[in-house]
Amino acid sequence: MKTVQRLLPFITLIILVVALSIATPHFLTATNLSSVVRQTAVFNIMALGMTLIIISSGVDLSVGSILAMGGLMGTMAMSKGQPILVGVLVGILTGGLFGLINGLAITRLNISPFIVTLGTMGIVRGLALVVSNGLPVHEIPKAFSYLGEGTVLGVPFVLLLLVVCAFLVHFLLDHTRLGRYTFAIGSNQDAAIYAGIPVKFHTTAIYAIGGLLTGLAGMIEASRLMTGQPTAGQGYELQAIAAVVIGGGSLRGGEGSVVGTLIGGFIMGLLANGCDLLGINPYWQQVIIGAVIILAVSVDELRKRRAV
Amino acid sequence: MLLELKGVQKRFGGVVALRSGDLSINAGEVHLVMGENGAGKSTMMKIIAGLYQRDGGEMKWRGESVNFANPVEAAKVGIAMVHQESLLAPHLTVAENIFLGRELSNRFGLVDRGAMFDKARRLIEEHHFPLQAEWKVERLSPAGKQLVEICRAIQHGTSLLIFDEPTSSLSEAETHEVFKIVRTLRDRGTGVIYITHRMDELRSVGDRVTILRDGETVHSESMSTLSTSSMIRYMVGREVAALYSREPVTPGEELLRVHNLTSPPSVKDVSLTVRAGEIVGMAGLVGAGRTELCRAIFGLDQPSAGQIWVGGEHVSIGNPRDAVRHGVALIPEDRQKTGLARELPISWNVTLAGVPSKYGVLQHGVEREITAKAIERLRIRCDSGAQKAGRLSGGNQQKVVISKWVSRGAKVFLFDEPTRGIDIGAKVEVFEVMDELARQGAAILMVSSELPELLQVADRILVMRQGRLAGELPGRTTQEEIMRLATLPSSGTELEL
Repeated sequence: MKTVQRLLPFITLIILVVALSIATPHFLTATNLSSVVRQTAVFNIMALGMTLIIISSGVDLSVGSILAMGGLMGTMAMSKGQPILVGVLVGILTGGLFGLINGLAITRLNISPFIVTLGTMGIVRGLALVVSNGLPVHEIPKAFSYLGEGTVLGVPFVLLLLVVCAFLVHFLLDHTRLGRYTFAIGSNQDAAIYAGIPVKFHTTAIYAIGGLLTGLAGMIEASRLMTGQPTAGQGYELQAIAAVVIGGGSLRGGEGSVVGTLIGGFIMGLLANGCDLLGINPYWQQVIIGAVIILAVSVDELRKRRAV
Repeated sequence: MLLELKGVQKRFGGVVALRSGDLSINAGEVHLVMGENGAGKSTMMKIIAGLYQRDGGEMKWRGESVNFANPVEAAKVGIAMVHQESLLAPHLTVAENIFLGRELSNRFGLVDRGAMFDKARRLIEEHHFPLQAEWKVERLSPAGKQLVEICRAIQHGTSLLIFDEPTSSLSEAETHEVFKIVRTLRDRGTGVIYITHRMDELRSVGDRVTILRDGETVHSESMSTLSTSSMIRYMVGREVAALYSREPVTPGEELLRVHNLTSPPSVKDVSLTVRAGEIVGMAGLVGAGRTELCRAIFGLDQPSAGQIWVGGEHVSIGNPRDAVRHGVALIPEDRQKTGLARELPISWNVTLAGVPSKYGVLQHGVEREITAKAIERLRIRCDSGAQKAGRLSGGNQQKVVISKWVSRGAKVFLFDEPTRGIDIGAKVEVFEVMDELARQGAAILMVSSELPELLQVADRILVMRQGRLAGELPGRTTQEEIMRLATLPSSGTELEL
């Protein structure tokens, strides 16, 4: 029973795949699957960072704004004549910078992550609009589209990127001191402090890493749209948090995994894709996603209550 | 006779908090209720005030059997309680708090703020309290809040007033003011129940005393005929079976030296030393500053003055990281909140203070070895190191917390109430672990409110009272001696102005 519940996200994913394959012949095609992968890659990469943050018992509501800011800064660098690689790097580092700012505000001002990132969600979005004057950046080298749309031996490049990022975050969580401290801080921050763990430093690092990943996601998004949009990524925090939570992450901290998050991310992607293929009003997608979040968390709560 | 309790019982789950509480209060007397921590005093008072409902026994109010379902029912017949901890609404004013839940209303049924503030002002003036009706409660000191609680309790015709350690946070002058109020109330015919730990207060305010021990009323007598020494004997009473006895080790070098440590407001000018192989007990009443002393040594609180030496080296400990680096370990009082990461595996808890890693990359193999060694050495009963730490019994959880420091190689151990919430068998095992640590050259400071345990385990016992070191006793002392130091002002040794 316990194993079944732990595998629930995975089982759900399989059921979704099977159900969609039966429901529509357009689902199990290379074109459609590669489009699902591209669609989900952006918030899956964001969700990887969110996994770290949620395991540490935090949350980052500002990822959507940071994503826009990262994409904007990266494309602006390119439009000013910088090479593509430098532009991508600028985008990633911009994300990292704002993640760092989140982390510093949370640990140094001693404010809850919810409040800090609620604030920076507004601040960063506003700054993106100020910097761009509200206008998208279009003057981007054509080759930049490779990041979001290119393939390597038929495999979408973003899928490879996602796999690399997932591997790195998984390694970080399971095989590094930072990962261990992330669990410790999330499970019992006081116990971590009492054990002499530099909690503030590591918490800050976790948000900065989340920011870097979000910056990368921002560049992928910009590449797919071939514009730097100051309004990009609105509502993505919902997607990222949902992926983590559906994958077994607990908002109370101390729980979560990369594999779980990826499954959660793909469940969300398939739900959206299924709605498209079946001709369901896209407005309903948000309703469905919201409901799935509540469902996933309540199942998890039930499991825990029974365990106690 | 105002109130009479006979054989009153109260259980919380499997724990008996009150086995057989007897008490009789007359109108116009100040009745002291005494006993060690956990003797059942507070439980009994809460039953009288309607906060708890008794599971058995009899309670009579003015000769009639009563059963209060809630504090409002108790208040209706005229019973009020001044609580030890503040139960006020911090964002409201003094006047609003005094009338909280029984606001005065005008003829339209609306709150009559004017009347409330007038009445509060009169009450405050009458008793010369340093309060203003308009002040926000959150800005008051603990003493100020206590005074508001008292105002609250006496503002309407109360026949029986319960004070639960009202002066533990008050200054000398404020304490005298409280006494004056207590006497005034008594002279008006009010019955007063007064719980205190401070022996010095008793004679100046009490008429009669009832003593509880282990959830039972053991004695009741007039204050004028009861000597202090027999009062202490009644309080600690029982002969405790020698569950555990420890062979002292010849102490080695001095590993911990604390000199004139002051950590406001709870720790004042404390000096002590602990040598390798020693287990030094630390006794005192709740609020004496023992936990705060540990916190200050461990860097959780910032001392305002004083120095610390660890292993002969003068160290500056600004946070727990510094403490850990210098080999100081704290096994905290509240295991669940600050000691254990319940949701994480045992092995992660064992290595929490020093996870084996190279360039930031974990060495899982080494970690497994460390965990296996810790489980064997501390005899942690578990399925495997991968089990969640929160699933273990209290005693085994405590061993996991201790193992964290053992595998880190700590030299100085501060145990704060190490046996709290664990059963007797596991207690002995915890003592054995402490003994083994001492034998291997660790210095141990053990805070405990369980006097029999201190007597069994400690080589010598320090006693704290109101933030200061009240004295030192040999390990073979008696509970009476400890209680005397913990409660009485020692003669001459304290030169304070």
